[in-house]
Amino acid sequence: MFGYYISLALRSLRGTPILSALMVAAIAVGVGASMTTLTLNYMMSRNALADKDDVLYALQLDSWDPHEARNNPSEMPWQITYKDATSLLRSDIPTHQVAMHRWGGPVNRDDSEMRPYTAEARVTSRDFFTLFDVPFTYGGTWSSEADNNPVYQIVLSQETNEKLFNGENSVGRTVNFNGTPFRVVGVIEHWQPSPKVHDLNNGDFLESAEVFIPFGLHRSLEIYPWGNTNGWLTEDIDSYEGYLGSEYVWVQYWVQLDSKEQLERYRDYLTGFIREQKQQGRFPRPLKFGLSKPSEWLVLNEVVDDDARMLNWLSLSFLLVCLVNAVALLLAKFLRKAPEAGVRRALGASRKAVFSQHLVESGCIGLAGGLAGILLTMAGLTLIRHLAMGYMDRVASMDWLMMLSAIGLAILSSLLAGLYPAWRISRTNPSIYLKTQ
Amino acid sequence: MLKMQNIRKSYRTDTIETHALRDFSLEVNEGEFVSVTGPSGSGKTTFLNIAGLLETPTGGQYLLDNEDIGNLNDRDRSRLRNEKIGFIFQGFNLIPDLNLFDNVDVPLRYRGFNGKERKKRIEKALEQVGLAARAKHLPAQLSGGQQQRVAIARALAGEPRFLLADEPTGNLDSLMARQVMELLEFINEWGTTIIMVTHDPDLARRAHRNIQIVDGQVADLQQGAAERAQTATA
Repeated sequence: MFGYYISLALRSLRGTPILSALMVAAIAVGVGASMTTLTLNYMMSRNALADKDDVLYALQLDSWDPHEARNNPSEMPWQITYKDATSLLRSDIPTHQVAMHRWGGPVNRDDSEMRPYTAEARVTSRDFFTLFDVPFTYGGTWSSEADNNPVYQIVLSQETNEKLFNGENSVGRTVNFNGTPFRVVGVIEHWQPSPKVHDLNNGDFLESAEVFIPFGLHRSLEIYPWGNTNGWLTEDIDSYEGYLGSEYVWVQYWVQLDSKEQLERYRDYLTGFIREQKQQGRFPRPLKFGLSKPSEWLVLNEVVDDDARMLNWLSLSFLLVCLVNAVALLLAKFLRKAPEAGVRRALGASRKAVFSQHLVESGCIGLAGGLAGILLTMAGLTLIRHLAMGYMDRVASMDWLMMLSAIGLAILSSLLAGLYPAWRISRTNPSIYLKTQ
Repeated sequence: MLKMQNIRKSYRTDTIETHALRDFSLEVNEGEFVSVTGPSGSGKTTFLNIAGLLETPTGGQYLLDNEDIGNLNDRDRSRLRNEKIGFIFQGFNLIPDLNLFDNVDVPLRYRGFNGKERKKRIEKALEQVGLAARAKHLPAQLSGGQQQRVAIARALAGEPRFLLADEPTGNLDSLMARQVMELLEFINEWGTTIIMVTHDPDLARRAHRNIQIVDGQVADLQQGAAERAQTATA
């Protein structure tokens, strides 16, 4: 009977094109508005590190001002000092650990006519690629000595390798980065986590790094990080060495701890480390550190903020308003067809059959509304991308899951909207219409 | 076949209770052609609606093929209506945006026949009423008499044992009315029991038996005109 109901529904929709179009529009506008915000929230709250959520931890150390906690939900600085990072890197407890920050500079090739362009860089310890599961197309990461010593090796993103070497295997070739020649040791596959959970300090939804260089290059290149550097202590800094030894926080730190036992040991280690620092007059605040899983890190950093959530509820409320309109239109449409329902009842249709027939019609309206809603959602997201000027490019887009969700939401909404009108028409007394039709 | 005993039907509004049928008793045997007459508002249509399981009586007992209708739920009543009862209405009640084929198809769909069986029955029914060639026409493209013949085809397609006709010729001119009446008589000869509500005394006389309903009760039972004529001749 389902096929029969579908054919009746299509016939009925064709029979009242304006009313049907109004209902489809009501559902489409509601779905379009709600799916636009739902898509944004969904894309913003995705966890690119979900597969390793149980073993990865973003590290925070509370080395902040004794008189005032850091002004964020964790009440600790998001990043740590360079000197703490280099100390922690010596621990052998984590399976992998990464100290890193954002940098950048002009990149080009000596043996090419290509003009230099500015590339986003990540200065990082070698475990970055293993810890964040970044796959390599060619080569691999640099040697372990590069974390502590100046080793001029570089890993390129797929896109950079495409620009500089037309996508060929460039391992062993040389590129100039910031005026210094680097030997290419690896090329990673396309890797653009969004939100950029590994670095929420520098634009949650911006592109990932284009080149990666070792953490041991700071002194030789006198690297000052791009992005946030925060401090609370007034310090006289008159040299690069002074900068590295300062209380400024600018290094992001992640660890991989594969077992609970490892986690406990690392907690003990951090406790001991902070106590040690306190004895040296540092870490004036009560002993506190943070180890947050990627999912917790996203929440803590308020990647999806309260405004976005509020917008979600507002758009769902708007969908509800559209649904109420759809209910009224469906009721008008169905009751107009009450005489036909009366004939069907006389010819053997049960109330359930009449109810099902009209609910299927509602579902068809929902399907059409869902498809139109997807178009409206895409238009809404395009507008947001345009208004955000590139900042939301990777967030304001629909994947298949969201498209299916839009259709599902539209069908569910229309079925809900159709429940009462379908019930009403299934309860009408057929004999009234049979005599008067 | 149809047995009603002390059937009551009343409609209640906030202030008034109207008794449409009161202690209404009637028995119709298999193969009979019964006409029902009576003044407007006497309860003829209410009787037909109850007989056709479109309404439930307020009281009394209704047995259809020895099955007590009072014990059935909506699903079972609908099934019984679909399998055993065919309707013909004064206003034809064809579905305007379905062609003749699809109109006749409606009761068969609810019966659950497969496509092949439905097609066979639809074609046969339309052939019986002489409209097989116009299966793809819409009701609006037909005359009143033709529309009523489609309604009869729709009622016949399910091969019901029981045909309920409410003023089947009320909207037709005399020529078409005669054709429809002849068709009903033909159907009855093939064994289908017919109960026909009519205002037309000539048509009522052509039935085997005439029942008069006055104030919701059976007022008089008569032998049909044809039967009386037969007796007189003998």
